[in-house]
Amino acid sequence: MAEHSFPPRSSVKRWLVTTNHKDIGILYIVSSLFFFIFGGILALLIRTQLWTSGEFILSGSAFGQAVTAHGLVMVFFFLSPFAFGFANYIVPLQIGADDLAFPRLNALSYWLYFFAGMVFIVSFLQGGTIEAGWTLYAPLNLPAFMPSPGATTAILALLMFVGSVTASTINFIVTIHTHKADGLSLWHLPMFTWSILLTVWMMLIAFAALAAALLILGADHIFGAQYFTATEGGGLLWAHLFWFFGHPEVYIVFFPALGVMLETYQTFTGRRLIGRKWVILAMILVTLQSFLVWMHHMFLTTINLEIKTLMMAMTIGISLPFDLIVFAMIYTLLKGRIRYTTPFLFNFGALLLFILGGITGVFLGAIVLDYEFRGTYWVVAHFHYVMFAGGTALIGGLYYWWPKITGKMYNEFLGKLHFGIYFIGFNLLYFSMFLSWEMPRRVFTYHTGLETYNQMATIGGIILGASFLIMFYNLYTSYLSGPDAPDNPWEYSRTAEWATSSPPPLENFEGVPTYRNGFLEFEDRNAVADGGHVEHGHEPGRHPDHASWWPVTISFAGFLMLIGLAGLGEHFAYELLFIGGAAFVLLSAIGWGLEDFYAPEPLRGAKWPFDGVHKNKFGMWVFLASDIVIFGAFIGAYVFIRWGYGWEAWQNVPAESLPGLVNTFVLLTSSFTVILALVYAQRGNRRGVIAGLLATIGFAFTFMLIKSWEWNFLLPEAETLPEAVTMLVTLDFDVLFHTEGPAIDASIMHSTYYVTTGLHAIHVLIGVVALGYLAWRAWAHNAYIDGNERPVENVGLYWHFVDIAWVFLFPLFYII
Amino acid sequence: MASIKLYFAVYVALLILAVTKVIFIEFFEYWTAVGAILVSAFTKSALIAYYFQHLREEPRAISWLVLISLAAVLLLAAAATYSIT
Amino acid sequence: MWVFGHTGGGSDLRTQESVFEEIFLVFLVLGTIVGVVVIGYMLYNGWRYRASASDELEDPPVLGELPVGQGGGKKLALSFALSAIIVLSLIVWSYSAVIYVDQGPEMEENMEVEIVGAQFNWDFTYENGETLTDTLVIPEDQLVRFSVTAQTEPRLDVWHTFGVTELRIKADAIPGQTATEWVLADQQGVYLAECFELCGAGHSHMTADVIVVSQEEFDSWYELLSEDPDEAMENIPEPEEN
Ligand code: HEM
Ligand SMILES: [Cu+2]
Ligand SMILES: [Cu+2]
Repeated sequence: MAEHSFPPRSSVKRWLVTTNHKDIGILYIVSSLFFFIFGGILALLIRTQLWTSGEFILSGSAFGQAVTAHGLVMVFFFLSPFAFGFANYIVPLQIGADDLAFPRLNALSYWLYFFAGMVFIVSFLQGGTIEAGWTLYAPLNLPAFMPSPGATTAILALLMFVGSVTASTINFIVTIHTHKADGLSLWHLPMFTWSILLTVWMMLIAFAALAAALLILGADHIFGAQYFTATEGGGLLWAHLFWFFGHPEVYIVFFPALGVMLETYQTFTGRRLIGRKWVILAMILVTLQSFLVWMHHMFLTTINLEIKTLMMAMTIGISLPFDLIVFAMIYTLLKGRIRYTTPFLFNFGALLLFILGGITGVFLGAIVLDYEFRGTYWVVAHFHYVMFAGGTALIGGLYYWWPKITGKMYNEFLGKLHFGIYFIGFNLLYFSMFLSWEMPRRVFTYHTGLETYNQMATIGGIILGASFLIMFYNLYTSYLSGPDAPDNPWEYSRTAEWATSSPPPLENFEGVPTYRNGFLEFEDRNAVADGGHVEHGHEPGRHPDHASWWPVTISFAGFLMLIGLAGLGEHFAYELLFIGGAAFVLLSAIGWGLEDFYAPEPLRGAKWPFDGVHKNKFGMWVFLASDIVIFGAFIGAYVFIRWGYGWEAWQNVPAESLPGLVNTFVLLTSSFTVILALVYAQRGNRRGVIAGLLATIGFAFTFMLIKSWEWNFLLPEAETLPEAVTMLVTLDFDVLFHTEGPAIDASIMHSTYYVTTGLHAIHVLIGVVALGYLAWRAWAHNAYIDGNERPVENVGLYWHFVDIAWVFLFPLFYII
Repeated sequence: MASIKLYFAVYVALLILAVTKVIFIEFFEYWTAVGAILVSAFTKSALIAYYFQHLREEPRAISWLVLISLAAVLLLAAAATYSIT
Repeated sequence: MWVFGHTGGGSDLRTQESVFEEIFLVFLVLGTIVGVVVIGYMLYNGWRYRASASDELEDPPVLGELPVGQGGGKKLALSFALSAIIVLSLIVWSYSAVIYVDQGPEMEENMEVEIVGAQFNWDFTYENGETLTDTLVIPEDQLVRFSVTAQTEPRLDVWHTFGVTELRIKADAIPGQTATEWVLADQQGVYLAECFELCGAGHSHMTADVIVVSQEEFDSWYELLSEDPDEAMENIPEPEEN
């Protein structure tokens, strides 16, 4: 779509089709605030129930739903998306980019998030949402204990959210590494951008583990697999998978807030960050260590003492870099000229809260103390002090960037008033929880001695909630009639977002930003363009696209499909919704593929250590890295359960290994043919490309046929080959799992076999769609032989990965 | 750009390595075979990644990206399994 | 370590409460000191360098400069080292109690009770095979070892956590896993056992009474339990007031 047809911000259509990072940032911020209100209302319900020690307004089940939904909404649908609203808006400005690397994918991330939230809301309407706590402990998280379809819907909502996060992660990793202005090396990135960079690196691995956990949980829910009901360690398996994600997740929500703090501490003191180098190193260390401490949430389980000791040591280890960061911020205050504007008040307060939360975290790190604190309000108080300290800093961020985003100033007095009331309410609410620490978490009745503390907390909660009325009023009036904001309202700000108008133009800066001479300068856009389009990566005569209908369409289709999937077997309407939704997803994905969407890549700029990798290929590799974690976690789950079962007592499901071996040959051969397609594309040989791709597709189908014969469901039913293929492609669930062969729920051995090879089979099918698309384009449009063989290469990378996955599945499930 | 001949040689090596897995389990003691099979599987993956996915032509950082996520998930599997021994 | 050196006999036996209270107290005191010092320092400097009271900045940052840091690393390193030493020594010190807390004291005599959680009850099975629901009677000053799990037969149950706050004991009750825990109760009384892991709609009500009585009273009741369980369950002994 050409630039002139891009609708203005006053049009609703603009907000549905936009792919511009600033628009998407605003969408994220607005939606996340909506979920903040939603989660806040749930919190007030919880606090109202706890006003008295006995029965009050909620039943046990309603209370369980409220605490679960409150946690999930606040962590997933508020905090992270709120932070990523700023990341979307600010990071490209700070690094001097026009937009993210994949603007259309960015819009998809947003809409997947939005509709994931809608799926979650629907789950309330289906006889109640999930009520297992935000940690979703197994086996309580299974239909045996929560039979309403709402629980399944909630899990699918989370899965859709993970899809959104994965797309964002790829986008931000590629953008920050390859779209920086000339002369802006990694080391010199502004602290907010640094914090987002490290956040997305953590997300890459953590959310892939969550994806695996949720996929397995989904298989347990929908297909009756037995992972988390297995007495051979199902409950512990969930705890491991969840906390391997969950611990990094707490830093994932905190790091962006830390980035805001590090920016505002510099701006509002007029000082540069003390020990900047050490702070960055400390943050990198935290990023790595965050994957080494997850079992401190499992000290009370049956895991052995050695591993607990190791995890304890790591936990303490990870508090040290945080120490350093806190001290660096405090020392930055010294010798400054501190201006207590609203953004700084919030960030100053955030550090105070964080210090308290951190100190109480050290208590939890000591195993002997944790044994007693586990499952009590001490934990609740601790994590609210740290996570909501993050939230506090982000609210400061909202005031800090508000003038930039809206071009309006807010009312400073109301802002300060908001902070004052907020801070009092916060401490009344959460400090009371430290005082009532002996109370178990997630109970809706408790013994009467604790009533005073609980009532203090409830009053604090109401004050905290009420303070936001001031904020919303302030922002609302500012938006409507506030004074215009200057480009740079904050004295001593340094970063590039303040060096453009408020709000910035579509392409962010009038000129092309560069730091070639050690400070920010702008080069004339036209001069750069005239000097050769190559310089700025524009293809001659093309303008970047900013609009597409496909992101919102695909996400809406996914919404329909998942609601249908959650209710399969409940009602005929669900089946219809699922099939219709799935077809809609497929069609809109094809529409996406056919759309010619152009987003240029800057050729100049600081890209180390990823110089010379095209952004699409880089993106594919980042995706594959997350897929490695997904497959690895599936394999890890298998190894874990098999170990619990007794390794050698385990029986492989396939009776013999020969079909598996043949399939190994088939896949290896397809890997060879897909590389042939690439070689022929490089040589400009059209027929070679088509032949290579078609052969690959042929082998893929051979693989699937053998697989399905092995699964022993298809050939006994199908009379002819086309019939078999149709059944394969339509994935008829009844036939799939309940015919000749032993069912998926026959034993844990069957479950692991079907689920893991099933995940692989889905990968093969997706590969077939992609390969088919390539073959069609090569045939109909003579594509890929004109020097642009990249799509063939990137799909090939994916296909080889599918092959590698099988290289491990074959021995694990057939031989050993 | 690699020649078809090289790719073919890699392909043949992969086929041979695939067969070895079935052979190891027949002739070695169980845990030795498991070890040998895993070595064979990792070798195959490395060959595919290095040649077919041509990691050898990419900046080293791409290989690190892959290795880091591999290491993370191996850690998860190993530490979780160890925790229940 | 001055407190955990002897765990062998008689008078050096420590209850879980006393171990916990001591460590908690030390953490609380040091944590408060650290908190007060750090927050006090921060507030003081925040006030001292407020804009209205401070001089013009020398070398103020300017818009568009390449981000760099300001010196001051030495002070940073020093305070970092200091806090690291406090944290590390606290943890190492507290760790010396872990083995004792995990394994319990060694005593000649002890009794064992199996605890099984199921939505939403606690079952306590004594060595004689008799099971009480939601009531546990144990003798004063005797080591009682628990094995804790959740029900798997006839119906798989969910994850619970058994804990008695006043006695400072807690253990996860996970289907298919067995955790161990011990208690040495030195005060007669009725203590409240609660569930500490969300386990469903009845989670809040998943409580039990832990009744600590004198050894003699326990012995006679236990005898009755072996002979006439129904009668024994009707006549749960009462702790003495003290
Ligand atoms: C000084 C550093 C920290 C230490 C030593 C620490 C330690 C711990 C430990 C051991 C637990 C497990 C408690 C239990 O369930 O028994 C825990 C829980 C938690 N921590 Fe921290 N923590 C620290 C900082 C943080 C930070 C910075 C965040 C997030 C911003 C955070 C968020 C959480 C959350 C969300 C939980 C509870 C999860 C749940 O059970 O629902 N912690 N912390
Ligand atoms: Cu943690
Ligand atoms: Cu419970």
